[in-house]
Amino acid sequence: MQYTEETVKTLSSCFLQTLAPTLEPRKQAENFLKGAADQPGYGITILRLLSDPSVDEEVRQAAAVNFKNHVKYRWVTPDPDFPPPLNPIQDPEKDQIKGLIVTLMLSTPPKIQSQLSEALSIMSQHDFPSKWQTLLPELVVSLQSATDYTIINGILQTSNSIFKRFRYQYKSNELFTDLKYCLDGFAAPLLEIFLKTGQVIAANSENLSVLKPALECQRLSCRIFYSLNFQELPEVFENHMAEWMGEFHKYLVYTNPLIQETNREKSSIIDELKAAICENINLYMEKNEEEFQGYLGQFATDVWSLLMSVSLSTSQDWLATTAIKFLTTVSKSVHHKLFSEPSTLQQISESIVIPNVMIRDEDEELFEMNYLEYIRRDVEGSDMDTRRRIACELVKGLSTHYHEQVTALFSVYLQNLIQEYAANPAQKWKEKDCALYLIVALAPRQASVGATGTDLVNIEQFFDTHIVLELQVQDVNSNALLKADALKFFTTFRSQIRKQLTLKLMPQLIGFLVAESNVVHSYAALCIEKLLALKDGKQLRYTASDLTPFLQPLLTNLFTALKLPESQENPYIMRCIMRVLSIADVGPFASQCLAELTGILVEVCKNPSNPSFNHYLFEAVAALVKKACQRDPEQVVVFENMLLPVFQNVLEQDVTEFAPYVFQIMAQLIESRRPPLPQNYIAFFPPLLTPILWQRQANVPGLVRLLQAYLQKAPQEINQGNQLPQVLGVFEKLIASKNTDYQGFFILNTVIENVSFEVLSPYMSQIWTILFSRLQYRSTGKFIKSLIIFASLFVVKHGPSKVIDTINSVQPNLFLSILDNVWSPNLSTITGEMEIKLCAVAASMLFTPLLEGSATPYCGKLLNSVITLLVKPEDERIDEEQDVPDLDEMVGYTAVYAQLHNSTKTEDDPLKDVKDPKEFLAKILGGVSLQQPGKLPSIVQGLESSNQTALAQLCSTFRISIV
Amino acid sequence: MEGASGAHHRDPFKSSVGRVAGQRRRQQAVTVGKERRESVVRAKRLRRADPSDHGDDGSMQPAVMGDEAAYKALEESTVNAVHNLKNLLKGSPAKRIGALQTLRHLLSCTAMPPVHVAIEAGVVTLLVDCLAFGSSEEQLFEAAWCLTNIASGDLQQTRAVEPALPLLILHLGEKSAVHVVEQCAWAIGNVAGDGEVFRDVLLKQGALHSLSRHLLSPVPSLSRTAAWALSNLIKGPSPKAAMELMKIEGMVDTLVSHVSKGEEDLVVEVAWVLVYVTSMSDLHVTLLLNAGLLPPLLGCLASSEQLSLLTPVLRTLGNIVAGDNSKTDVVLSVGQSLPGGIIGVLARCLESKHRTLQKEAAWAVSNIAAGSILQKHTVFNGGVVPPLLHLLATAVFDVRKESAYCLGNLCVAPKESREQGGIILEHLIALVDGGCLPGFIALVRSPDVEAARLGLQFLELVMRGLPNGRGPKIVEKEDGISALEELQFHENDELQTMSNTLIDRYFGEEYGLEEEYGPGMDVLRGSDDSSDYPPWRQGGGLTA
Repeated sequence: MQYTEETVKTLSSCFLQTLAPTLEPRKQAENFLKGAADQPGYGITILRLLSDPSVDEEVRQAAAVNFKNHVKYRWVTPDPDFPPPLNPIQDPEKDQIKGLIVTLMLSTPPKIQSQLSEALSIMSQHDFPSKWQTLLPELVVSLQSATDYTIINGILQTSNSIFKRFRYQYKSNELFTDLKYCLDGFAAPLLEIFLKTGQVIAANSENLSVLKPALECQRLSCRIFYSLNFQELPEVFENHMAEWMGEFHKYLVYTNPLIQETNREKSSIIDELKAAICENINLYMEKNEEEFQGYLGQFATDVWSLLMSVSLSTSQDWLATTAIKFLTTVSKSVHHKLFSEPSTLQQISESIVIPNVMIRDEDEELFEMNYLEYIRRDVEGSDMDTRRRIACELVKGLSTHYHEQVTALFSVYLQNLIQEYAANPAQKWKEKDCALYLIVALAPRQASVGATGTDLVNIEQFFDTHIVLELQVQDVNSNALLKADALKFFTTFRSQIRKQLTLKLMPQLIGFLVAESNVVHSYAALCIEKLLALKDGKQLRYTASDLTPFLQPLLTNLFTALKLPESQENPYIMRCIMRVLSIADVGPFASQCLAELTGILVEVCKNPSNPSFNHYLFEAVAALVKKACQRDPEQVVVFENMLLPVFQNVLEQDVTEFAPYVFQIMAQLIESRRPPLPQNYIAFFPPLLTPILWQRQANVPGLVRLLQAYLQKAPQEINQGNQLPQVLGVFEKLIASKNTDYQGFFILNTVIENVSFEVLSPYMSQIWTILFSRLQYRSTGKFIKSLIIFASLFVVKHGPSKVIDTINSVQPNLFLSILDNVWSPNLSTITGEMEIKLCAVAASMLFTPLLEGSATPYCGKLLNSVITLLVKPEDERIDEEQDVPDLDEMVGYTAVYAQLHNSTKTEDDPLKDVKDPKEFLAKILGGVSLQQPGKLPSIVQGLESSNQTALAQLCSTFRISIV
Repeated sequence: MEGASGAHHRDPFKSSVGRVAGQRRRQQAVTVGKERRESVVRAKRLRRADPSDHGDDGSMQPAVMGDEAAYKALEESTVNAVHNLKNLLKGSPAKRIGALQTLRHLLSCTAMPPVHVAIEAGVVTLLVDCLAFGSSEEQLFEAAWCLTNIASGDLQQTRAVEPALPLLILHLGEKSAVHVVEQCAWAIGNVAGDGEVFRDVLLKQGALHSLSRHLLSPVPSLSRTAAWALSNLIKGPSPKAAMELMKIEGMVDTLVSHVSKGEEDLVVEVAWVLVYVTSMSDLHVTLLLNAGLLPPLLGCLASSEQLSLLTPVLRTLGNIVAGDNSKTDVVLSVGQSLPGGIIGVLARCLESKHRTLQKEAAWAVSNIAAGSILQKHTVFNGGVVPPLLHLLATAVFDVRKESAYCLGNLCVAPKESREQGGIILEHLIALVDGGCLPGFIALVRSPDVEAARLGLQFLELVMRGLPNGRGPKIVEKEDGISALEELQFHENDELQTMSNTLIDRYFGEEYGLEEEYGPGMDVLRGSDDSSDYPPWRQGGGLTA
């Protein structure tokens, strides 16, 4: 593609159209650009277009975005094994782009600059430094010659994104070679600009327009410092530590009323710089404390006084948390003595910890306006960077070395807070909130049984006096925040609360399920759910019979809660429903629950938006099916009548997200039926074989299971409907890919088990051909194992001669070749108790026909493998191997398959009558010895000596003699 | 069913704690940090006043740093000296030598000689001329000394010396006087200390062979300087030079005999040669062991108190035990003659107050602990555990990390004898009871990705290994969950996946409910995990 007036015109109008409000011209333009992007020279043309000042600003911006995406998808190094989905940019064009981009980036307006900077950073991920040796020098030269801070900050921004990879990659020679290269080239100029800008800042304390970009420059320099120092302390930084630390100190104590942010939600540039410095000194404290210790005292003082002056405004959250983190690191280190004075501990606790833990107006707002986010921060651990959490981390840090002192201090604070509340509950509720927050946060974070205790208070006593009271209040809507705190406290210490007391409080918990506050009813559901999952040893603490007295109000309130505003898709409530349904004796309420759930299902089908809610919803349905239908098959009809119309709707409307669930539950329903299947199921069958359904990866496991259910319950009908070829078509598609081949075998195994050989025989030759060609061209260890298992199942179900004959029908004597090259050598890699039995029995059954034919030489190897399989422990037989999944098949968006726990299948042994495969083998060998004496001894002599011993042992155990 | 599938289940962390340590040997090749060798600055050595003219020492006191005027004067004199040398180049030999001596005095009277002004004044070409064939010994010596100190400067200054290299190497020949050879070797050593580019140049010009001849010199200072220069030359990261050196006939015996003689100053230098050789060539480790390196080497370790000696000896030992287990066996058996065995000696190093020794010793221990089951038992019972636990709790970061490798390796069964699914339970329980868990959890929280991974791997062992489900409980009690949670959104994919997997497996919502739902639970964890189950069983499609 050439850069001509013509192309400029065409492309310009195209870019304009991509911004069009109407769909049709937009699509058209996008398609045109997609096509054009395949042509060589497209990238460079766009680059020129976007940098052409005569072109319309809007067009240039659109072109910049397009260029960045072009680079994103096409700046790849071609790999012959995995051809990329889009034509990659060719090397000569890449070189051209590399030559232009830095200059262009630095000379374009900010909006375009940011796109180009991003593009550059993508390019550097692939090529820098080894394939782009000019980049770093070019950046350095521009940095050293630039005086305009827009340009300087542009360069630093870009460099920052290039160097970020040093922050998360593992140490390796390659990484260190690159790091060294960057250090050699960039460390000195970085310090230079940092010092120079320091002078600019000092000289311009009145001049805001100079000051702001200069401070931004320092912030970026600090971020680069962080990346370059991340892996280990580089020599060049160690040599210049005094200069860096001196500057850091200057900014930590820098104040200038001019640069305070007027917008109270936005953090000021100086605060951001200070936060970046805190991160740097925190890094040094964590990893290089010895070299850093000379500066520690000064910085501890700086950060300390910084925290004393930081406000509680959200705009200073980031600064406050990074600063507290630094103190936390110091408190845990060998230099903890800095904080050893009782007065220091007290001052930290009172001036830093408590104020930061106190609930703020912003948190209250969140509690009311965005309950999900509040819960996520409050109980799900996504509060990593909130002030409350970080302040508590500081307490934990101080406790590492001063446990007793800290515990004593905080016990007193807690008492005071509680007393203040007690004296004036209406005004001082925040104090109680603070106390409850501290107790929960300072108990080690728990998951399983909940926290087992805390040194701060006596849990049982505290619960009795301060929590029970809160929970027993008549009005579930009064003082919602404290109610939520009490419920969280209960949930946290649930294992410590006596069962009797818990059951006594159950009506209260159930009452809170319909509290107006979304947080409160969510916490009530969470609490009940966690209580029901609680175990003592292996026993659930709360059983179905404990639940029975409460079941009706519990279910009623749970379903009522789902009708409260903003809680229609509340995942905590649905999860609680699932838990109740899988534990309780739902008997009389089953149909009521089914009706409720079906109603919800119909609603969410219209617009599935909340994946976890939906997952628990289907989980709840599956639990109900399991409870009701598997106990009483007559119930199935009731369920079908309710569910199948909804399911049909899901499939007809193509509600992609739900299809995998629907297939699993349908399979579950079919499995709990006795044959024959009613006609409506049979009518459902042909659409299931539509290829489009199978193209979606997420559908496959559920569909396979459903197909298996049909094959088990209605093999006749499928055969009569002439649908077997289509089923085998599905098998063929699945077997072709490494990712789904085992699913293909699921189907094939079910077919072999449930369909008579007469029906099957016309297809056998084709099936073997498919399997063997896959074996020949794209074999994997897993595939071979599956193949052996399938063949073994075939032997066991239809007899060895059918297997031998059908394989040989593909090509004469093929069976022996497969036996010798695939079956025998890999037999001993089979794992799993049932699989080992199956394969050993099948292999044993092969001896008679093999010896009768003239295939004696093949028997030695086979016998050896069977004995190895039966005698040696798994660890000694198997080398770990890793099959690489087919990456090319996983491109593109796919819904995720989620297995429903309540709908898992039980497995059945295909060889129930064989108890011990060793005995089976011995009996077979005994039989051969009787019928064809003289053949076995020579074979036995060829076995590995350990296997000879093992065989002799088997013979004596089962009283068989080999002759 | 569960048991069978459990045994087959491929665990991502099971043996990786051990494997990582084994692979680390060569990863040390590229460094960005300062090499911490404390008492000796190894890479570059300035030659200050000559021992023979002691008288000068007093009169030529180094200029006080910060005294700018004095330094200015020094620079000025240096420039003058260069010009003077230039003028006298064609003059009488005696005057030339006099000029050279003046210059040499100026270049060696302070720790920061005014090398840059000398170079700018064109000193190198003059010195190259002075190195010409047939020059007097004294002239060669003085010129080489000047070059030595010029090459002790920064990269640019070293580069300036490049034109002199062929002649410096030439004067390493047998016919040269000993003090000339030594000074040339010194200069070359300084050049070689400045990176692989210069080392390559020197190798191409044949410096290696010329230097190696002088290892056997009867003059102690010469053999020492030659060994030091060689150690700089073979640093790598490419192993080419080290291999080249070891191919020289008799080299193995020469090195071993130097260590045996036990002359400490020489052993220090030879041990550094051994450090690089043993880090790059397995074959030569074997040859060195066969030649009897170990008894004298371990002897040094037990008898010396000198940090500069212990450092390279420990590192060499660490390299040897990073090889296959049979070499470790040899080390252990030779070490039996030492008080407390080799492990006891290492334990004392771990107890030393020097960070370098702690780190080197921990590294050696981590490699032994990555060996066979027997070796792990020996380490475990040899007295290193208490100091390691102490270091893990209190030491500086990099020592803590090394200690963690040791402790982790002690708990992972070698691949060939998978007792208890890869865990040596006895060790694990003892270490956890010894209070190691907070130390590992601190590593999980560390910003260092490698340390975080190590911490995660250990937590995994604890949670999987401790009987009666005690593992998750104790991790929970030590506040390990919040440490794991901090990694859930880490930019490093592996850390993110590992922490998510651990949280899901041990603290996820299914926690404690497995029995209720059966093994099907695992299927949820994604296709990677499920692929580990034998194929057809998953579908359960065999029901008749």
